[in-house]
Amino acid sequence: MLSCLGLRKDYVTERGAVAAVAGIDLQVAAGRFAAIIGRSGSGKSSLMAMIGGLSRPSAGRVVVNGTDIWDLTENELAAFRNRRIGYVFQFASLLPTLRLIDNVALPAMLNRGGNAGDTYARASALLAQMGLGDHFDAYPSEVSAGEQRRAVIARALINDPAMILADEPTSDLDEQTEIEIMDELLAVNRERGTTLILVTHNLALAEQAEQIVHIAAGEIVA
Amino acid sequence: MTADRRGLRWLLASLALQNLGRRKARSFLLIAAVAVASGVVFTGATLMRSIDRSMAVGFTRMGADMMVVPEGALTNITAALLTVEPTDLVLDADLFAKAQLTSVSRAAPQKIARVEHSGIGSHHESADLIGFDPALDFTIQPWLVEKLNRELQPGDVILGAGREAPLGSQLRIFGKPHTVYGRLGKTGVGTHERGVFMSFGTLEALAMSIGGGHGGGSPPAVLQPGKVSGFLLELAPGTAPLQARFAILSTLKGVKVVTGDSTMSGIRQGLAALLDGILALMVLMFASTVLMVCVLFSAIVTERRGELGLLKAIGARRSQIVGMMVIEAVIATGVGGALGVVLGILVMRLYERSLVYYLENVGVPFVWLDTPQMVAVAVAAIVLASVIGALGALYPAWRASRSDPYDLVRGEG
Repeated sequence: MLSCLGLRKDYVTERGAVAAVAGIDLQVAAGRFAAIIGRSGSGKSSLMAMIGGLSRPSAGRVVVNGTDIWDLTENELAAFRNRRIGYVFQFASLLPTLRLIDNVALPAMLNRGGNAGDTYARASALLAQMGLGDHFDAYPSEVSAGEQRRAVIARALINDPAMILADEPTSDLDEQTEIEIMDELLAVNRERGTTLILVTHNLALAEQAEQIVHIAAGEIVA
Repeated sequence: MTADRRGLRWLLASLALQNLGRRKARSFLLIAAVAVASGVVFTGATLMRSIDRSMAVGFTRMGADMMVVPEGALTNITAALLTVEPTDLVLDADLFAKAQLTSVSRAAPQKIARVEHSGIGSHHESADLIGFDPALDFTIQPWLVEKLNRELQPGDVILGAGREAPLGSQLRIFGKPHTVYGRLGKTGVGTHERGVFMSFGTLEALAMSIGGGHGGGSPPAVLQPGKVSGFLLELAPGTAPLQARFAILSTLKGVKVVTGDSTMSGIRQGLAALLDGILALMVLMFASTVLMVCVLFSAIVTERRGELGLLKAIGARRSQIVGMMVIEAVIATGVGGALGVVLGILVMRLYERSLVYYLENVGVPFVWLDTPQMVAVAVAAIVLASVIGALGALYPAWRASRSDPYDLVRGEG
C-alpha cells in the first residue's frame, strides 16, 4: 500500500520558488496498476521521484506499507530503493561499460552480498524471459533501444520488488516496440502481483490502468 | 563470465577501470601529470637523501667552520680546519657543552701532543698524537679510507695518510702496543697527514710516558682528563661566521677564534638551504597535483552525474559511490606513480653520469642510497601518488554522493 500525504516539491529558481508538486494526496493499493498522466511540466516525474525515494519532498510524506520512506536513514533509503522498488526510466539507463548481464545483476550485487553465482543465474533467467537470451555478454551500445529497455525491465525485477515505477518508459520507442514493452510491464503486474505505477502522457496506455491520476500544475485534477 | 564469481568489488573495480578506458586521452594526461609529479618526488627524495649522506661524508671532509683555541695559542691556518694545533695552553673539555651556544651545531674537542722518541717513525722524528671524542668528531672519521670491521676501542690508533702500517698490525708508542685500527685519506694538512689519532682515553694512558720522555718533568697539561687543546666547530644552519664569532667571544673567556675557509661554510650552508628549497618545491608540487586531480575529478563527476544518479537509484550506498570514484582515481594515479618512479630512475642515470662524476672527481664522494632504501622511497612515491588520487577524488565524489539521485539523473546534482 502506497500513501502520499500533502506531498510537495518546490524548486528554487532565480525568480523564487516554483512548486512542481503542490500538495498531493494519493493512495495506490498493493498490486494495482496506476497511471499518472499529465502534460509536460505538470509535475508527474517529480511526484514519481518522491514516491520512489529519488528526490526528497519539500513537504509531506510518502508511506509504503506503514513506513515513511523519507524518515529512513541514508543507508536504509538506499536499501529501500534497492529491494522494494524497480525503476524503468524514460532514458537509456544502462551503464555503458557493463555487459547486459552485469547491468541486470548489479542491483542484487549492491546490497545483498550473497552468492554471485546465484545472482548471475537469476539475471540470466530474467534476460532470457525478456527475449535477450542471446545477448548476455553484449554491451548496451550493441543492442537496439527496445532491447535495452527490456534489459532495464529485467534489472528492475532482479530483486523481486514490491513496486515498479516506470517514468515514460516507451517515449523514445517505435509503436510496435512500445506495445511489446508495455506487454512486459503488464505481465509483471498481473503475473507477479507487483504494483505498477506508470507515468505517461499517452492516454491510450493510461486507459489500460486500474487507476488513473491526472495531474496539472502540480495538483491532482481528476 | 568471470564477473559471475568475483562479486561486487570486482564489478565496481572493473567499472572504474573501464571508465578510465572510456576517455583514453584524458586518462593518459592524468597519468602523465601524476607520473611527472611522483617522478619529481621520487628523484628529489632520493637525491636529497643521497646529497645529505654525501654531505655528511664529503663536506665534513672539508673541515670545520671555525676553531676555538686558548687565547695566546699560536695557530697555523690551513685551507681546511681538520685538527687543532699543538700548544701548551688548554681549555676545559666541557666548555661548549656548558655554554649551549645556538650558533654552534657541533663542537668537537681535540687534544694534541707533539712528541719525539715515541717509537713512531725514525728515532728523532716528531709525531703528533691527537686525541678525539669519536662521538663528537666530524673532521677525522669522515677521512677514514679503510678501517677494521668494528668500533674504535681503547688501544686503537688511526694513522694519517703519511704513515704506513697494515690494518690490525701492532704499533708501539713509547713501548706500549697499539692496534692500527684505520688509515685516513690524503688531506694535504700536515698534522692530519702525519698524525696518529686515538681516543682521549688511549692518549691519556700515555701521559706518564710522554711526560717522562718530554724532559723528565710532568706530562703536558693537555693530557690531563677534562682538558683539551681546542675545539673544531660546525656552525648552525643560517649562522654567519662573524655572528658566531661575536657570540663565542662574548660568552667564553680566554679563547681565540680561528675562522676557516668561509667558502666551505658558504657551500655547506647554501646546500642545506637548497635541500630545504627542494623539499618546499616537492610539497608545493604535491599540493598542486592534489588540486589538479580534484578539479579533474570534479569534471569527471559532473560528466557522469547521470550514471551516479542511476547507481544511487538502484540502491548503491553513498560509501559505494565514493569508493568507486576513489578506486578509479587510485588506479590512475597509482599507475602514474609507478611510471614516475621509472622516469625518476632514468633521470638519475643521467645525473649519475654527469654531476656525480664531476663531484667525485673533485673529491666529494656521491653516496647513493642503498637498494632497500631506494625501494622504500619508490614504494613511498607510488603510495603518495595513490593518496593524491584518493584525496583529489574524495571531495567531488562525496559531494555527488550527497545529491538526490533524481537531481543527478537530471544533471543538476
